[in-house]
Amino acid sequence: MCVPKLARAHTYKIMAQQANISELLSMLDSSALGVLDDITTVFKENLNSDRGPMLVNTLVDYYLETNSQQVLRILTTLQEPHDKHLMDKINEYVGKAATRLPVLSLLGHVIRLQPPWKHKLSQAPLLPSLLKCLKTDTDVVILTTGVLVLITMLPMIPQSGKQYLHDFFDVFGRLSSWCLKNPGHVTEIYLVHLHASVYALFHRLYGMYPCNFVSFLRSHYSMKENLETFEEVVKPMMEHVRIHPELVTGSKDHELDPRRWKRLETHDVVIECAKISLDPTEASYEDGYSVSQQISTRFHHRPTDAIASPYVDTQNSYGNATSTPYSTPRLALLNTPGQLPQVLSFSSTRLSTEPTQATIWSPSAVCGMTTPPTSPGNVPPELSHPYSKVFGTPGGKGTPLGTPATSPPPPCHSDDYVHISPPQAIVMPPKKEDRLDSVRPCLHRQHHLPNDRGLETSDNKSSVTLSDLPEFLGDLASEEDSVEKDKEEAAISKELSEITTADTEPVVPRGGFDSPFYRDSLPCSQRKSHSTSSNTQGPSVSTELLTSSLDKLGPDTPKQAFTPIDRPCGCDNESPAGNRESQTSLETNILTPSPCKIPSQKVGFGSGQPPPYDHLFEMALPKTAYHFVSKKTEELLKKVKGNTEEDYMPSTSPVEVLDRLIQQGADAHTKELNKLSLPSKSVDWTHFGGSPPSDEIHTLRNQLLLLHNQLLYERFKRQQHALRNRRLLRKVIKATALEEHNAAMKDQLKLQEKDIQMWKVSMQKEQARYNQLQEERDTVVTQLHSQIKQLQHDREEFYNQSQELQTKLEDCRNMIAELRLELKKANNKVCHRELLLSQVSQKLSNSESVQQQMEFLNRQLLVLGEVNELYLEQLQNKHADTTQEVEMMKTSYRKELEKNRSHLLQQNQRLDTSQKRIVELESHLAKKDHLLLEQKKYLEDVKLQARGQLQAVESRYEAQKRITQAFELEILDLYGRLEKDGLLKKLEEKTEAAEAAEERFDCCNEGCPDSLVGHNEEAAGHNGETKTPKSGSSRGSSGSRGGGGSSSSSSELSTPEKPPNQRVGPFSSRWETTVEPSTSIPVTVGSLPSSKSFLAIKARELFRNKSESQCDEDGLTNNSLSETLKTELYKDPNLEVKAPLGLDNPHPSPKNQESVGQLRIMDYNETQHEPS
Amino acid sequence: MAEDSQRNFRSVYYEKVGFRGVEEKKSLEILLKDDPLDIEKLCTFSQRFPLPSMYRGFVWKVLLGILPPHHESHTQVMMYRKEQYTDVLHALKVIRFVSDSTPQVDIYLRMYQLESGKLPRSPSFPLEPEDEVFLAIAKAMEEMVEDNVDCYWLVRCFVNQLNNKFRDSLPQLPKVFEQYLNLEDSRLLNHMKMCSAVTKLPYDLWFQKCFAGCLPESSLQRVWDKVISGSCKILVFVAVEILLTFKIKVMALNNSEKITKFLENIPQDSSDAIVSKAIDLWHKHCGTPVHSM
Repeated sequence: MCVPKLARAHTYKIMAQQANISELLSMLDSSALGVLDDITTVFKENLNSDRGPMLVNTLVDYYLETNSQQVLRILTTLQEPHDKHLMDKINEYVGKAATRLPVLSLLGHVIRLQPPWKHKLSQAPLLPSLLKCLKTDTDVVILTTGVLVLITMLPMIPQSGKQYLHDFFDVFGRLSSWCLKNPGHVTEIYLVHLHASVYALFHRLYGMYPCNFVSFLRSHYSMKENLETFEEVVKPMMEHVRIHPELVTGSKDHELDPRRWKRLETHDVVIECAKISLDPTEASYEDGYSVSQQISTRFHHRPTDAIASPYVDTQNSYGNATSTPYSTPRLALLNTPGQLPQVLSFSSTRLSTEPTQATIWSPSAVCGMTTPPTSPGNVPPELSHPYSKVFGTPGGKGTPLGTPATSPPPPCHSDDYVHISPPQAIVMPPKKEDRLDSVRPCLHRQHHLPNDRGLETSDNKSSVTLSDLPEFLGDLASEEDSVEKDKEEAAISKELSEITTADTEPVVPRGGFDSPFYRDSLPCSQRKSHSTSSNTQGPSVSTELLTSSLDKLGPDTPKQAFTPIDRPCGCDNESPAGNRESQTSLETNILTPSPCKIPSQKVGFGSGQPPPYDHLFEMALPKTAYHFVSKKTEELLKKVKGNTEEDYMPSTSPVEVLDRLIQQGADAHTKELNKLSLPSKSVDWTHFGGSPPSDEIHTLRNQLLLLHNQLLYERFKRQQHALRNRRLLRKVIKATALEEHNAAMKDQLKLQEKDIQMWKVSMQKEQARYNQLQEERDTVVTQLHSQIKQLQHDREEFYNQSQELQTKLEDCRNMIAELRLELKKANNKVCHRELLLSQVSQKLSNSESVQQQMEFLNRQLLVLGEVNELYLEQLQNKHADTTQEVEMMKTSYRKELEKNRSHLLQQNQRLDTSQKRIVELESHLAKKDHLLLEQKKYLEDVKLQARGQLQAVESRYEAQKRITQAFELEILDLYGRLEKDGLLKKLEEKTEAAEAAEERFDCCNEGCPDSLVGHNEEAAGHNGETKTPKSGSSRGSSGSRGGGGSSSSSSELSTPEKPPNQRVGPFSSRWETTVEPSTSIPVTVGSLPSSKSFLAIKARELFRNKSESQCDEDGLTNNSLSETLKTELYKDPNLEVKAPLGLDNPHPSPKNQESVGQLRIMDYNETQHEPS
Repeated sequence: MAEDSQRNFRSVYYEKVGFRGVEEKKSLEILLKDDPLDIEKLCTFSQRFPLPSMYRGFVWKVLLGILPPHHESHTQVMMYRKEQYTDVLHALKVIRFVSDSTPQVDIYLRMYQLESGKLPRSPSFPLEPEDEVFLAIAKAMEEMVEDNVDCYWLVRCFVNQLNNKFRDSLPQLPKVFEQYLNLEDSRLLNHMKMCSAVTKLPYDLWFQKCFAGCLPESSLQRVWDKVISGSCKILVFVAVEILLTFKIKVMALNNSEKITKFLENIPQDSSDAIVSKAIDLWHKHCGTPVHSM
């Protein structure tokens, strides 16, 4: 199977790639299931891969054309990127009047599924265009559909109210007035639908934006032209709503605040709206119950507690627990429309009247609804819940008569249960049959049972949870032995788990008579249960339908009959199940139109839980029946309308009216069905080939459509309720878990308390021990203290003794010190005495010596006296004339002394003067020496300078010599060559030539003999004379440069007197006088510093004295210089090849002298230059 | 002291910062202001510091004796020198040893030969090795000095100094070179000994021609400063430094001929650094000459 399927899918894919979409679309409706699946998968893949709007557009088009359910399914499950295309497309078609209706229904389908992109709806351009359409369109069908779509959409996009609030209100205003005035003059049946939808819109708007809405109402209906509408339409609607709490606490702005809506999901909004409704068909009593919850729980708890004990006792008596007799009064009480106080009173009365039965029943009924299926081993109070769930439901679904037969087995015995469950299944069919028979009397009861149960469930739900649990636990503990209870619990939980597992298996094939609960317990197997439940539920509802049709629905009955049905739809757990059922049945209808489904569908139609009757009609009914039904319903509706308007105006809501209408239609239909064989007008029409009036058919079709829409809307609401229900269930589960946790915590707490007790006891023991120890310690301490005291006393004694001893020691020390002092004093005294003694002895010795001296002096005195006497005698004898001579000598001596003294003075003066002179002279000498030194230095400097210059000149001279040598060499070379030539040409040459050669030769021979000189004297003289000016002008260098070589050199040498003059020209001209008298050189040197400089003057003074000696020196130096020069000069000429051997003395001598002079001149020249 | 205080107080820091020659130029100018120039001081200065190029020619002339120490005689002596130059040149022209087309260096050589009496009989005679040395030095000097007369005299006196003053020390230089190279880098010396390149190093180029033609003139001047001021040992250190600088390349070569060839044509770009390092090395080994102001 798998391979061909895949292959097929592949081929479809290829087809899709070839853009053969239309073919694919046509294949969508093929009857083969496999192909269908493949095609849908291919479409979905395409949608996943392609992001363009193309495919969506074609799908929408196709849907509009064919109304294909497959396409619808694809479209309703579109993913994110395509939603925009879809919305655009829908928007586009909403704009067109022709396609408006189908597109709106498509939109309704899409929205009801709550796609993940629903939040985008508020921004989509679709919303405004929808509103516009609602404001402008005149077709009631479109309006109703649109309003329903809008109502469905509103809770999804609550925050969009800000933008479109007034549009919503306008729509409401328009439609409400439409209901009354009927400007389009359409069939009144339509108006019923419209009215119902407007009513829903009213609820929605009032629920969501109460303040704004009320203010709108106030403003809109304060106008006179609208007053009638208000009276007729709006006011009755307002009777079905409570005052919205937001009207008190909220404000206009607060309502529109997105933050308010953020917390609420879609179903929350729906429930919110339902809460404020007083209409039993619309209202939700969720928190209404919460008001009475405390009371109800109080009532309920005692029963449940009471149950616990009797329950154990009556475990085996389950069979007796039939409910029929007891339930009747209960139901009677319950018949009054579900107002809370009544319910409460009912429960209380019920409890009071039949405690045992109720206890057996109520837990089962209660728990059957509420127990969280996944946690079988729960808390003790819920012991019976699972069983009741299993067994209570058949009772609920089936008749009360049936329940005794299947009444709950003892919860603790799983064996029993196992035994019972098969019979249960066997029992069922008869039960149904029975029920069919006894339908009429029990009808109300049947319908009330679920309702009752529903109420109880909610009661119990609240009672089980929360704060009452510990209390309950405490009660339990007090009543029963805890150990026993534990055991029981364990057993029960075990059984429960077994049962629940075992339960699922048999239930599925059985036909799911308890499907809603089963569904709750196993959400994953929903579908199966739905399909099955739809079958089983069928009969029960059909009975209901029968009753209503048979009774012909008096003004009272419908209300009583239908409200109970509606209510479970609105707020019971059952309702979603029913909703689902219908949905699934619808699906099955579409997919597999098999005959067996028909009854169930019919039943669904009649049951007031809107079944997919449109399809049903289309497919199942022949057109005659169709027509008949419509006629009948029309009549009935008129009736109903009249009734409601007349009698029950305030209390009947438009929904009820609609319900009634449907009911009537259904009745008519069932009648028709029953009398199908009988001929009728409509049948006649078709039978005779005449077609039913198209107008009628059209109306009927539209009506169908409207009903379908209404149904879908209700279904949507139911879904929301289911969602909420599921959430509440989760909360219950959580709460029970928390309770368990609490119990565990309590146990722990007890354990810990025990521990604490133990610890306390041990602590006391420890304290006793501690006290003992402390006493012991105290005694020891006192002992020790006494010891310490003794020891301290001893110590003090010793201390005193030691102190005494110390004082003694001190005394002794003092004494010793005193004694020492005394000793010192004594010593001092002794020393002093000794000193005195020595002094005295000294004095003694002194006095002795003095005495001796005195004696000696006395003796001397005596002797000298004698001698004096003797001299006196002599003097007297010798007194003569020596005095004169002495006088003379004295004077002479004195004179002589004076003379000598004067002489000495003179000498001294001379010495002084001479010394001064010497000093003077010495300083002078030093000065002179210094000057001399300076002069010498200066001279040295000058010499150095001169030497530098001289060296340059010498080098130049040297160069000159080299040059001349070179020249000579060259000349000789040339001569050599000439000679060679001459020898060769000698023979041919004439005498003249020879002479010339001779002459040349002579000229060359410089130092030739005198004879030659004589010959050439004249010519040479001429030459020399002629050359002189030239050489003079060109200075020393002219010699080498000037002449034409041989002639000039010859002239130089040949005329010795003149060349010197010429050579030294510049110098000689200046110093001619000095040069010529060579002997007077020293004089010139001496007189040299003729210049005016100070140095020169000084030098002159100095030289004045030493001139003579210096002159000699200079002369010597000059001589020596000249000699050295001479030798040098002589050296070079000797080197000359052609040097004249017999060179005259006078020749060199003047030359030397000249050079010397030159040198000297240079010296002076320099010296003269320096100062200037 | 007064003179010291007048001097730039920043002078102490110049050397630290790396400016050389700012203060030296001043002190040189002070030296040159003395009337009889103190040749010894000039020598010490020139050995110790690089000469500023604007005074280099003058200092060289004084140190080589071309100019006397006395300022007054400078013009006259210079005149003599010039005349001597023109005379000798004239003579050479007369005897047709040189012509206008003769290169200046050859002219210098002929003049020198003439003056030293070694002029060959004919210009076509082959050149002596010492003539080659002269030519190399003259060529280098020609680049340094613009004036022909100055150039001739400088070359002449420089060569004369080499021939007279350093006659004994020049042949010793290869040995001294080996000794210092051993001190600085014995490995390199060993390597060269291995290659037997030590004896074949271009000693002629280094010590006879005083690196003329081996180093570019700008660097050569600084070497010659030291040579002219009387120290021929600097040549050794320049040679050592050349080897140290191109150590890697020399180590890479293992053929004596190649080494010699390489050393004869060393790259010129690093010559300045070589000379600087060589002077530092010289100062390090021989000590900085005492400079008494």
